[in-house]
Amino acid sequence: MNSLIRKDFPILARVIEGKALCYLDNAATSQKPKKVVDAISRFYLETNANVHRGVYHLSQEATDAFESVRGKVRRFLGARSEREVIFTRGTTDSINLVASSFGGMSIQEGDVVAVTRMEHHANFVPWQQLAKQKKARFEIIELTDDWRLDPKDVDRVLGMKPKILAVTLLSNVTGVTNPVASLATRFKMAGTTILVDAAQGIAHSEVKIDDLGPIDFLAFSAHKMCGPTGVGVLWGREALLEKMPPYQLGGNMIAHVGDLDSEWNELPHKFEAGTPDIASVIGLGAAIDYIETHGRTRIEEYEQSITDHVLEKLVQIPGLRLLGPTDPHHRAPIFSVAIDGVHAHDLATYLDMEGISVRAGHHCAHPLMFKLGLPATCRASFSFYNTFEEADMLVKALAQAPSFFARRRN
Amino acid sequence: MNYRDVFGEILADHHESPRNWGVLPDCTRVEQGYNPLCGDKVSICLLLDRDSSGSERLARCTYEGEGCSICMASASIMSEMIQGKSIQELQGLIEAFREKMQGSDEVFLLPAEDSGEDITALYGVKRFPVRIKCALLPWTTLKKGLEAAHAK
Ligand SMILES: Cc1ncc(COP(=O)(O)O)c(C=O)c1O
Repeated sequence: MNSLIRKDFPILARVIEGKALCYLDNAATSQKPKKVVDAISRFYLETNANVHRGVYHLSQEATDAFESVRGKVRRFLGARSEREVIFTRGTTDSINLVASSFGGMSIQEGDVVAVTRMEHHANFVPWQQLAKQKKARFEIIELTDDWRLDPKDVDRVLGMKPKILAVTLLSNVTGVTNPVASLATRFKMAGTTILVDAAQGIAHSEVKIDDLGPIDFLAFSAHKMCGPTGVGVLWGREALLEKMPPYQLGGNMIAHVGDLDSEWNELPHKFEAGTPDIASVIGLGAAIDYIETHGRTRIEEYEQSITDHVLEKLVQIPGLRLLGPTDPHHRAPIFSVAIDGVHAHDLATYLDMEGISVRAGHHCAHPLMFKLGLPATCRASFSFYNTFEEADMLVKALAQAPSFFARRRN
Repeated sequence: MNYRDVFGEILADHHESPRNWGVLPDCTRVEQGYNPLCGDKVSICLLLDRDSSGSERLARCTYEGEGCSICMASASIMSEMIQGKSIQELQGLIEAFREKMQGSDEVFLLPAEDSGEDITALYGVKRFPVRIKCALLPWTTLKKGLEAAHAK
């Protein structure tokens, strides 16, 4: 599918230190198609004005362009109302909003707040600190040896009837996709409010609210799905959002400000204080258009074939440890690897010399890395514009890594 | 191609056979250095005393750690250079190394030629800008350790 697609991403034609860019750090941020960049620059060059403010024509145009993206996001997610779509700075900001506003209003001493072992710091630390402040219990659902949520531990935590469950749709370290719909159905019966971190999920598969079961909140960032940095979305159930207090205070989120008290604007503006990143919201709209033009199903099928291909080869490399399931089902093309005796940073520098850009580090998942007993891993993550040739380059370089790092025999 | 072809024999050797490895019981100060981004860790034991003229010096230093080859080679090379040095000399060495790694002027080659001074082999790490902090970690930890020992 992708020789044509690659032309849409000018950066993919770059040659760095004599080698064609082989960008395999898509889980950190995806590249941006020209259409998205053009939409942003066109906004600044032709339509720029602040939104929800002026009565003049240009401001109305900017506001219409901005608000039309809200409609696009609503359709993209299959949400009921635009009142449920809140623009934020990104996944991290979306989750902090919920932890602070919903968590602040609903968690009491002794309540249970639950997360899983595979959460990104963005979906771990806000809940951990909320629990600490409220003297609530913080529970972590553990994993099986195959990197998936341990059903026995799910039952254990379910039995505690947590007030909140925060769970990722797709792990940025192991590539595991979680069965969110069935989790949500079971936890809802225990009275739990469920937040889904879709930062990675949104980049790899179709995400429709109704397919995820009775969830309450969903968070994602534009920059991992071909959009710009600086903007993300929080989707929340309208009835809950109505009850929640505002997160930040200031312009746009108020209806009336008196000397001693104020009243809040209606949804979704109640949660959008200050001037938003208007151009990036426009860019998010263009990213959705771009993805929909290519079709989520085609993207998913292509990525699945890359996953199958890479997994089949990786498991054959002696001395290589794959920190993720070898079963290609319910997983995305995100591969964290470790090679015995080779530090992840050395491995990443070696791959960089081979022209392959991967991430080395803890991937903002200390609680998981700590359990693994590894300070860092190397992670290669693919997108639909990556090719099978790039996959083979990675596999070949990894296969040769042990001989590159071979120690002198005494 | 292998590691030695790129980084040179000196770095490979210090990584594979670290010098002054271990803990020093009864030392003046143990300083921990940690890079939260990549997980590199060093723990440096410093034993300070005074020489015959009464000025303070580092009588003995050992270290242990866990990290990438560049951080570990840097710690080993540093440990060989600093034994018995006065506090003033140490401050000079730390600053000079920092300047070499972060200063803008020279770009060094890898693998480094053997210049008789192992530390020159580290200068080539400048070719990999994101790795400079790996090479610096043992040195910034030493600096913190000396300051802390002094504050006592
Ligand atoms: C699973 C997951 N959650 C949350 C985040 C945080 O996203 P952002 O940094 O865009 O707020 C990331 C990004 O790395 C992620 O992979």
